[in-house]
Amino acid sequence: MNTTNHSNVIVRRTLIATAVASILLAAACATAPVKPDGAAEARVKLTQLQSDPNLASRAAVAIKDADAAVRTAEQPELNKELAAHRVYLADRKVDTAKALAETRLAEDQRAGLTAQRDSARLDARTHEADTAKIQAESARTEGAEQKLAADQARIQASAAQLAAASSEQQAKELQRQLDVLQAKPTDRGLVLTLGDVLFTTGRADLKPGASGNLDKLVAFLNKYPDRSVAIQGYTDSVGTEDYNQRLSERRADSVKSYLTGQGIGSTRLSALGKGRSDPVADNDSATGRQQNRRVEVIISNPPAALR
Amino acid sequence: MNATSQANRGSRPRMAVGVTGVLLLAACASTPPAPTANLQAAQQAIAAAERGEAARYAPGELSAAHTKLALADSAVTEKRMVVAEHFADQSRAEAELASAKTSAAKANAVNDEMKRSNGTLVDEMKRGSGDKP
Repeated sequence: MNTTNHSNVIVRRTLIATAVASILLAAACATAPVKPDGAAEARVKLTQLQSDPNLASRAAVAIKDADAAVRTAEQPELNKELAAHRVYLADRKVDTAKALAETRLAEDQRAGLTAQRDSARLDARTHEADTAKIQAESARTEGAEQKLAADQARIQASAAQLAAASSEQQAKELQRQLDVLQAKPTDRGLVLTLGDVLFTTGRADLKPGASGNLDKLVAFLNKYPDRSVAIQGYTDSVGTEDYNQRLSERRADSVKSYLTGQGIGSTRLSALGKGRSDPVADNDSATGRQQNRRVEVIISNPPAALR
Repeated sequence: MNATSQANRGSRPRMAVGVTGVLLLAACASTPPAPTANLQAAQQAIAAAERGEAARYAPGELSAAHTKLALADSAVTEKRMVVAEHFADQSRAEAELASAKTSAAKANAVNDEMKRSNGTLVDEMKRGSGDKP
């Protein structure tokens, strides 16, 4: 009984074991509905990579590899070790594909960066050149300005020289005029002595031929309108003092009248009789007396001294 | 006798399981291939990663590749060839990932440097033009 029971148990147990084995066998080869742990996560990562427009096209082969690995990992597998192994490989292959795509992306962007750098360098060089050009132009402008200033200075200098020359010429001209008048520079001014040949003896009116000398004076006074003249009449010692005084006055007036008659403003003219005072020669001789009978025209110096 | 039957009772299911295991292996996998090629591939992948300075740019992955290769070697000595093959393949996958991450890091470093230098160039130019009187 015991033996029968025992063998029955053995047979039953063997049958059970065989059944279990068959089930396991079937399960091992047949498709089971559950995906291995971790396969879903690998799929999510792969999908992200595939939908990234910057990366998806950049590592096509590696992504295809990864896709195959993920699909393998997704297959239901009762062998946990194998399933985990497949998930592991899938995960690493997705990461690898992503890193390769990123590498390619970086390399592709480098062309743009190189272009950017070249452009920046070109800009920098262009800028440098422009700056240099501007500086050169500015320097040139400065140079031109300096030249202009120099030219102006030179022109001013020439003008001054010209003015100097002109005033020198004027001075020369004056001197020439004075020479014509035979005026002599003295402390009182330029003194023009009109001899008694202008006048008939004992008379105050001018001889007709005397106007030549006086006309030179008129021309001089017209040319130098800032000058005024003092006309002083003198006589010799012959005759009374009163007579000589009046005679000298009349002769001085006569010269003044002539000059005003020629258009010289009377305000510029003063007439004074000095009689027989201030003789220029000895009254004892005829020659001396003749020299003393005279009209002196004293031309005042201009405000700015000429000499 | 009782003791013997107890022992028999225990060994028979174990035998059944063993048979099942053999059947299992026979059913799905063919004889496990020698993982020599896989081990070599892993070693080459690690060597390539190290040449690419993975130790600097992807030290974690490189280290994992070494560990997996060591596990594969151990499995080989234990005659667990399937496991050895798996570890070898994982080692290779890690090494390849290390290489890929290294290239990406290097490429990005180059780009960052270029961006920085471009920025400097542009800045200098701007500053240069700003300073001009």
